[in-house]
Amino acid sequence: MCKRNLEVMDSVRRGAQLAIEECQYQFRNRRWNCSTLDTLPVFGKVVTQGTREAAFVYAISSAGVAFAVTRACSSGDLEKCGCDRTVHGVSPQGFQWSGCSDNIAYGVAFSQSFVDVRERGKGASSSRALMNLHNNEAGRKAILNNMRVECKCHGVSGSCEVKTCWKAMPPFRKVGNVLKEKFDGATEVEQKKIGTTKVLVPKNSQFKPHTDEDLVYLDSSPDFCDHDLKNGVLGTTGRQCNKTSKAIDGCELMCCGRGFHTEEVEIVERCSCKFHWCCFVKCKQCHKVVEMHTCR
Amino acid sequence: MAGAIIENMSTKKLCMVGGVLLIFQVLAFLVGGLIAPRPTTSLAFLAVKCVDVRRPHHNPKWLLPWGNDRCNSIRTFDEAANRLIEANDIVFSVHIPFQGHEMSPWFQFMLIILQLDIAFKLNNYIEDNAMVTLDVAMAYRDELTDPWTELAHSVEQRKLQCTFPASKTPENEGRYYECDVLPLIEIGSVTHKYYLLNIRLPVNERKKINVGIGEINDLRLVTIFQNGGFTRVWFAMKTFLTPSILIIMIWYWRRIVMMTRPPVLLEKIIFALGISMTFINIPVEWFSIGFNWTWMLLFGDIRQGIFYVMLLSFWIIFCGEHMMDQSERNRISIYWKQVGPIAFGSCCLFIFDMCERGVQLKNPFYSIWTTDVGANLAMAFIIVAGICACLYFLFLCFMVYQVFRNISGKQSSLPAMSKARRLHYEGLIFRFKFLMIVTLACAALTTVFFITTQVSEGNWKWGEFSVELNSAFFTGIYGMWNLYVFALMFLYAPSHKNYGDDQKNGRDGMSSGEELQLTTTITHADGPTELYRLAGKESQE
Repeated sequence: MCKRNLEVMDSVRRGAQLAIEECQYQFRNRRWNCSTLDTLPVFGKVVTQGTREAAFVYAISSAGVAFAVTRACSSGDLEKCGCDRTVHGVSPQGFQWSGCSDNIAYGVAFSQSFVDVRERGKGASSSRALMNLHNNEAGRKAILNNMRVECKCHGVSGSCEVKTCWKAMPPFRKVGNVLKEKFDGATEVEQKKIGTTKVLVPKNSQFKPHTDEDLVYLDSSPDFCDHDLKNGVLGTTGRQCNKTSKAIDGCELMCCGRGFHTEEVEIVERCSCKFHWCCFVKCKQCHKVVEMHTCR
Repeated sequence: MAGAIIENMSTKKLCMVGGVLLIFQVLAFLVGGLIAPRPTTSLAFLAVKCVDVRRPHHNPKWLLPWGNDRCNSIRTFDEAANRLIEANDIVFSVHIPFQGHEMSPWFQFMLIILQLDIAFKLNNYIEDNAMVTLDVAMAYRDELTDPWTELAHSVEQRKLQCTFPASKTPENEGRYYECDVLPLIEIGSVTHKYYLLNIRLPVNERKKINVGIGEINDLRLVTIFQNGGFTRVWFAMKTFLTPSILIIMIWYWRRIVMMTRPPVLLEKIIFALGISMTFINIPVEWFSIGFNWTWMLLFGDIRQGIFYVMLLSFWIIFCGEHMMDQSERNRISIYWKQVGPIAFGSCCLFIFDMCERGVQLKNPFYSIWTTDVGANLAMAFIIVAGICACLYFLFLCFMVYQVFRNISGKQSSLPAMSKARRLHYEGLIFRFKFLMIVTLACAALTTVFFITTQVSEGNWKWGEFSVELNSAFFTGIYGMWNLYVFALMFLYAPSHKNYGDDQKNGRDGMSSGEELQLTTTITHADGPTELYRLAGKESQE
C-alpha cells in the first residue's frame, strides 16, 4: 500500500502532524492534553483502549489524512487525483468530456483505503475494530458535512442563468471544533449481534442511537490525574491552570484537588507590532508581570 | 394578416402537429439530461507558494508549481519568517489544469476566481475598505517542452469584502475570515493546452499598497469552464436546428411573397423572429475550435439579446394586431410606447455588456465591478434595464387585458353577425387564444425549470441512471423556443386555401389544404371595409 502510493505518503505524514497539532489545540485546557510520547504508540496506552480519547484521536487522524491529501491534490502535487475517476467507481469518461470530480472525493477515498485498512486486516468483527472504523468515518464526515458551497454566476451579462458551484474544504480548525463537540457528546456503545452482522448499539437503550457523524467509545476513560507511565498517562502535575475558572481548566478540577503553586513571572510580549500579509513583523518588546498557577 | 393555416387546419391535424412538436421537445430535454454532462465544471487549485529570490524581479521568469523544473517553494509562511523571506519574494503559482491533463478548445471559455484564506489576528486584522493589489501574469504553452509565452500581465486591484464569523477575541485568533470570491480573469477561448498563473502581492508601505489586509495563509483559485461533452452536444443541436428553422423560414416567406398583397406588420415581425432565431442557431462556434476567437462570449450575448428584443416586440405587436377595435395599426410606429422600453432597456444592457466583456477583450483581468464608480454605473444600467422590463410587462399585461375585453364583447355579438364576419372574428379569437396558451406554457416551463435548477442539486439519480438537470434545462429550453418559432412560422403562415389563383400552389407547402374542415370562404381581409365587400360578394353567390 505504501509503496504503491509513495507520492501520497508525504501528505499522509503531514496529515498526521496536522491531526496531532489540532488535537493538542482542542485539548489544551483539559487534563488529558493530547500530549505525545516519544515511544510508540505516540499517544500512549490511552489510545489503545477503547476510550473517548481514542475515538477522538482516530477521528481526527482520518480527517487529517483526508484533508492533507486533498490539499496536495489541489496544489497539483499528486498525479492521480480528482481527475482519476477509477478511484470512486464513476464511469471513466475523460476530463475533456465532463471535467474532474472534486478533489475531496479523492482525499476521502484515499483516507478510507489507507486509514481503515489496518482495522479491516484485523478482522472487522471485533468490537474495537468496529469502533475504530466508525470513528474514522465520523472524522471524514466532519469534513464532508462542513464543506462550504460557493457559487459564481456567469450567464448573459453575468446573470445567474448559468451558475457554477463548487465545494471548498473547511479550515482544519473548524473540523477540530466539530469533532471536539462530538467528543463531548460521544456515545458509549457495546457490540450486539443483529442477524449475522455485528453492530454497535448504545449501552444505555434510553439514549437515541448514534449517527454516522457521532463518535462512539467502548470503555470509560481514566481520570488522568496521576502520573502512570505504564498506561501512558502523564498526570496533571506541573500543568498550568486558571485560578478563576470553574470549568475543567480551573485549578480545582485540573489539579484533581491536590492544590497548586502560585508564582509571579515576568514574560516578554510582542506589542504594537507592524505586520505585512506575510512574513514581516516589526514589534516592540513589552514586559509584563503575571501570576502563574501550576498544579502540585 | 388573415386566414392563417392554424384557422383552416382540422383539429385532428393540429393535434398531430402538436404531438410531433411535443416529441421533439421531449427529445431536446433527453439529449441534455442523458447524453450531455454538466454544462460547466470547476477545478479548485491551491496556489503553491514559490520563493523568487532573484533581484530585481523585473525580467520575466515563470515559476512552476510542480514538475521537473518546479520552483523553490515553502509550505507555510511561518517557514518564510524564519528564512527571512519577504512578502515581495513570494509568488503564488498555479498550473492549469492538473498533471497529466490538457485544456481543450472545446471548453469554450475560462474564468478564474480568486479566494484568499485570511487568518484573524488581534493586531493584524483586515482594515475597513481594504483593497488588495495583485500583480498577475498569465502564460501558456502547447507542448510540455515549449517555453512559456505571456498571455496577459496586469496589476489589478480588488476590494476585500470579508466578515469574521466569531467575536474578535484572543481565543479566536487563527480562525479564517469569510471573504467574498474575487473575479480574476475571463477568457473567451481556450486555444492552448497549458496555462500558468504567477500572482504576486507586492507590499509598499509608503504607497499603502497591500497594507492592512490581514495575514494571508493561502491563495486558492477556481477555474470554471464549459464541459467538452456539453459543448459537443450543444453544437450538434445547433447544427441540427439551423437548417430546420431556415427551411421553414424560406417556406414561410415564399408563401407571403406569393400573395397578391404586400406583407403586413405581423407577418414581418414573425419573419424577423425567425431570422433572429437562425442568427442564434448558426453554429459559428465551430470556428472557435480552430481559431482563437476571444470575442465569442460577447457575440453570443449580442445574439441572445437580439432574439429577446424580437420576441418581446413580437408579443406586443401580436396583441395589438388582434385588438379587434377597428382601428388601423399595421405600423411599428404605433407601438413606440411599448417597443421603446424594450429598445432602451436592451441598449442599457448592451452598453453594460460592452463595458464588461468588451473591455475584457483588451484586458482579460478587467471587471467593471471592482471599482466603486464602475460598480455603481453597472448597477445603474441594470436597474434602468429592470425598470424598462417592468414597464414593458405592464404594457403587455394591459394589452392582453384589452384584447380579452374586446373578445368577450365580440363573443356576445357573434351570433348576430353575418357568417363571413363571424368566421373572421372566430378565427382571430382562436388564433389569439392559441398563441396565448402556448406562450404562457413556454414561459411557465422556462420559469419552473429555471427555479428547479437553481434550487436543486443539479442531477437526479435513480440507481444507475442519472439525469443532468442543468444540461436538460439548457437543451430543453433552447429546443423549446426553437420549436416555438418553428410552430409560429408554420401555423401563422397565410393559408392558400380558397385562393382562386393560388390554389394550384397550395400543394407545395406543408399545409395540405385539400382537407378542408371549416367552410370558411374569406381568407383575405385586412380591414373591415374589405371584409364587408367580400362578405357581400359571397352572399351574392
